Amino acid sequence: MQSNLAVALRLGAVFLIVSALLFAHHGTATSYDNSKTFTTQATVTEFRYANPHPQLYFDVKDDQGNVAHWSGEIAPNPAQLIQVGWGRKRSEAALAPGTVITITISPSRVMDAHVGLVQKIVGGSGELVLGTIALNPGGGEPTPKK
Amino acid sequence: MHLFAVLAGVLLFSSTLFAQGRGGPPLARIAPSDKAFDPHDLSGIWTRNGTPGGYGGGGTCADCGDRGFSNDVPPFTPLGQKLFDANKPSYGRLLGSADAAAHPEEAIGRRRAVPPANGTDPYQYCNPEGVTRALIYPDPVEFIQLPDRIYQHFEWGYGIRTIWLDGRKLTDDPDFLRWWGFSTARWDGNALVVESNGFDPRTWVDHFGYPHTDKMHLQERYRRTNYNTVELTMTITDPQVYTKPWVSQTKKFHLLPKDGIKTVDGWTGLLEDVCAPADEVDQFDKRVRDPAGGVTHK
Repeated sequence: MQSNLAVALRLGAVFLIVSALLFAHHGTATSYDNSKTFTTQATVTEFRYANPHPQLYFDVKDDQGNVAHWSGEIAPNPAQLIQVGWGRKRSEAALAPGTVITITISPSRVMDAHVGLVQKIVGGSGELVLGTIALNPGGGEPTPKK
Repeated sequence: MHLFAVLAGVLLFSSTLFAQGRGGPPLARIAPSDKAFDPHDLSGIWTRNGTPGGYGGGGTCADCGDRGFSNDVPPFTPLGQKLFDANKPSYGRLLGSADAAAHPEEAIGRRRAVPPANGTDPYQYCNPEGVTRALIYPDPVEFIQLPDRIYQHFEWGYGIRTIWLDGRKLTDDPDFLRWWGFSTARWDGNALVVESNGFDPRTWVDHFGYPHTDKMHLQERYRRTNYNTVELTMTITDPQVYTKPWVSQTKKFHLLPKDGIKTVDGWTGLLEDVCAPADEVDQFDKRVRDPAGGVTHK
């Protein structure tokens, strides 16, 4: 049996890998409001596995049955996704049009733009799709003091 | 000790690392090596990337320097100030935010980010990054060293640059400017000294929007300090913009093994991280980036 330490270190290593995805590569975090992050059920309409920004388009239905069309930015680029095992074929299969997902989004700072930064996607089987795809809220990185 | 207590410690440690913008764990590949090396041989795939794989954008490795040219910026000339003010970057702390106000120790260039839809970053439209920005960006760069030249092949943008080692001199006032400039180099002891000019002024020095003119002269000094490490210091001389030469923070690159970059199919070598307008400008910018910043297209 593995020791608690070994298990923890292994989990920590996984965390390090997915945490590496937290960093914006293209300075887009300034568009989104992390304080308004929410989770909802959605239906995929289109997924583009492209450099430097993969994109996810999806529909969200409200309690009255009204459908809103959303556009989502996927922060990690394909180079980052393949490091955690999410190549194009696997990603496109998991996010095929019509797939029902549970998605966590940080919406645009622009009211009712229906655009957001995708923080997390859970597939129908409970699988975490594309890993943890959150983004560094600052859009950049701290710099050393003078 | 309980599992979750240990895990919490690991997570706290790693979170601290990333909060500092320094990237990944202390990998074996970035440890100094006592393996023999030729200090005049810079060939190989080098990276400043902090992810476990050493590629893929994001933060820099722990000892590699940050993603700006330098936080110590010389005073601008009046023209320099005008050019700086005209550039609207999307990296750094959000303009006018409490976060920006809380870090007065940072140069103002690092505290004035705007949403990309409202910015002027030339790379948002897939224009070439230019030499300094490409070198600073934390993705791998392959040095291909021939007897009379060195090619630097950048994964990000998949751009290539030629540094001549055949003894030629720079042209004083090049007839036609280049995104990647004109570069010639010589060995000064164990330091490779690269002199460049003829840069297209539409590129930025770094992603914080620091400007330069077509009169910018760039000197780079590369020094291989051990088998695994190359150090780089850059100096910009552009008296139309900066009142004195601007010396960069020392940047470090670490050697990636030949199979260090690998696709899910097992294909090794630099990835093709191309910013293609067909994907970025026609799709992402119009359908995501711009509406996220309040700019809509009919």
